[in-house]
Amino acid sequence: MPLLALQNLTIALPQGADRPLAVEDVSLQIGRNEIVCIVGESGSGKSLTAHAVMGLLPRGVVATGGGILFEGADLLKETQEAMRRRRGPDIAMIFQDPMAALNPVMTVGHQVAEQIRAHRALSEHRAQKQTEELLGQMGLKDPRGLLKAYPHQLSGGQRQRVMIAMALSLSPKLLIADEPTTALDVTTQAQILKLIKRLQAERAMSVLFITHDFGVVADMADSVAVMRHGRIVESGTTRQVLGSPAHDYTRALLAAVPKGENYLPPPAQAKALVQVSGLTKRFRRGGLFSRSPAITAVDQVSLSLSRGETLGVVGESGSGKSTLARCVIRLLDPDAGEVLLDGADIAHMRERRLRPLRRRIQMVFQDPFSSLNPRQTIGDIVTAGPRILGEDAGQARARAAETLELVGLKPECMHRFPHEFSGGQRQRIGLARALMLKPDVLIADEPVSALDVTVQAQVLKLLDDVRRQMNLAMLFITHDMRVAAEVCHRVMVMRHGQVVEEGLTRDIFTAPASDYTKALLAAIPGRQWP
Amino acid sequence: MSFARRFFASPPAIFGFAVFLAIVAIALAAPLLFARGPLSIVDMPLLPPGSPGLLAGSDVIGRDMAVGLAYGARISLLVGIASTCCAVGIGVLLGAIAGYYGGWLDDLLMRVTEFFQIIPSFVLLMVLVAFLQPSLGSAVIGIALITWPQVARVVRGQFLSLRSREFVEAARIIGMGDARIIFTQILPNALPPIVVVSSMMVGNAILTESALSFLGLGDPNLMSWGSMIGGSRVAMWVAWWTTVLPGLCIVITVLALNFIGDGLNDALNPRRRG
Repeated sequence: MPLLALQNLTIALPQGADRPLAVEDVSLQIGRNEIVCIVGESGSGKSLTAHAVMGLLPRGVVATGGGILFEGADLLKETQEAMRRRRGPDIAMIFQDPMAALNPVMTVGHQVAEQIRAHRALSEHRAQKQTEELLGQMGLKDPRGLLKAYPHQLSGGQRQRVMIAMALSLSPKLLIADEPTTALDVTTQAQILKLIKRLQAERAMSVLFITHDFGVVADMADSVAVMRHGRIVESGTTRQVLGSPAHDYTRALLAAVPKGENYLPPPAQAKALVQVSGLTKRFRRGGLFSRSPAITAVDQVSLSLSRGETLGVVGESGSGKSTLARCVIRLLDPDAGEVLLDGADIAHMRERRLRPLRRRIQMVFQDPFSSLNPRQTIGDIVTAGPRILGEDAGQARARAAETLELVGLKPECMHRFPHEFSGGQRQRIGLARALMLKPDVLIADEPVSALDVTVQAQVLKLLDDVRRQMNLAMLFITHDMRVAAEVCHRVMVMRHGQVVEEGLTRDIFTAPASDYTKALLAAIPGRQWP
Repeated sequence: MSFARRFFASPPAIFGFAVFLAIVAIALAAPLLFARGPLSIVDMPLLPPGSPGLLAGSDVIGRDMAVGLAYGARISLLVGIASTCCAVGIGVLLGAIAGYYGGWLDDLLMRVTEFFQIIPSFVLLMVLVAFLQPSLGSAVIGIALITWPQVARVVRGQFLSLRSREFVEAARIIGMGDARIIFTQILPNALPPIVVVSSMMVGNAILTESALSFLGLGDPNLMSWGSMIGGSRVAMWVAWWTTVLPGLCIVITVLALNFIGDGLNDALNPRRRG
């Protein structure tokens, strides 16, 4: 008998949702001592499936059919109280965002001990002792000191380790991990994945792992189920599914994963359009009465960029890559250094003189949901730039129609509002807004990191096409090495505000010079997967 | 539209809106409904409601209470709405500047705001009105002056969170100026909480105006609900209607406005639905 068996599980969404059933007729088995991955894009129902097993479906969402058999007992038929007793000793869960899952006003030690004491009659002291031991097992240094720490004092990786300690504090038979590394940096992700794998083996527990990343699947899973629109389209052992996918959707997903194999050829030598040298940006914290030391977010960075070429800036969170981009485009005022655009230094130009030049450098943003004003129509958003420059409204709208078509949207969408579009479509609109100004330089700040992998591939291709057609100089900011390998001619690796290494994409990926770049490359999930 | 449907889905909001409309109608139609003004003496003093020709009785010097109540509605609504408009004007402007620019300008404006918030506001109001001579205008100015900090705080908070949104950055990049960004990009997105706060402020302003008039700091030539209560308090124990009826009018109006405010809050704030 498998540890957990989903039998024809069906979960209904409340009325008015975009589809009636979130999960439809899903059957899946998880044996003992096994890691099963559910992989799918956003909205596939993978996360709701996991929450249903925990008995934690959101209000209004109910399992209407099928069963969830845990060691033969149907969890759907159990009372709230029985389910409460199971959470912890039988089934435990870790979440995507450990900051949101931890109570910010409680010490780490207290939170983990509380979980233990909710199920076992132990004194606070004994529970704290156990907690300390657990934190040690999670590979955390100085577990005793950590007991008294608050969540905000920890790094993202440490927080996720604390979450895992909490989940494992009662030695559950099944651990559900819902995108546990999506919010983490790639090197931290690699460590957490390794930790989960080690703990799984040591404790011979079963893991249900929810992810959108096939690299993670390749590294983690014994078997895998691919979900789409609430249904499992394909399942089997990892080798089977990744090696010889049977379903078209799985094949499309796999094809969309950036492989980093076909590097763009080195760009032709051309005169630099943008020349950045010694760029430095410090942030001061504190208000009128406090002066804490400044943080140097960008430290003496130099780069050059010519027409028709894409320079990738990669780095983990806090590396200063986004701050660099915002200094180049003058959303932030740099403290030192220069940014030459065709020889004119825009780094210290007054806003009034800068404004007419702004047209020449445009940007595509990371978050498709906050980059478009929700109260304006697409037409207004896209034509705002040209109208500021004095272009006639009728002509601007005519050009907007053409530009929208260029980015793969219908001109009719000008009358609609941003919320009517998907994430990928919104990124296209954001790109159209930038292109309307006929820029020379396009800065793309993590333009695909909020998108599903199939949409990601389309948007990357579009960006590359546009760069070619309009002969743009592109500065491409990303945390994802695989993405950088796909679209960049040259790559610059940043860490703690400084440039670690810069070179042709092929050289960086095949013969990295610095240890940090090597570590970044080694941390890419699914490296071993052919 | 879906906004209207969400607003009218809540019974208190419907009630509040209906009552508010009725009061506005009575206030506007007062000169048509009654031949005489509110200050003219029509009969014996202290006649109970239902006496011939006196729907709501007469007050301590024999004026028609019904006429007084209808004309009082004009004053209450006028002061409530006018002072709120002024307060919202000041609050939006200062809050927007503080929130958008941040830095020392924000520090400065917030200290000014706090200055107004830490002074006992009603005392400030009484001093102001007494200084400016009690009149409709001085009441409006005074109330606006003590209430704008609420608006400024709300608007500043909204601007602080909205100014770092990417669509605002995008507006800067395409070369939009600050004033245009503030008014066409950020303000429309900050409107819902401003609307909610304003609707509640109208009710509060009506209460404040009543309190001023009760204390004799209202315009002596105008009949308002507060001054009716103030003038009749000597007769409170022998003629209940002289104080209870204007009091009820105040309660019902303020309640209606608060219901409207709650309804707007639910309708404009999608997270509070369900």
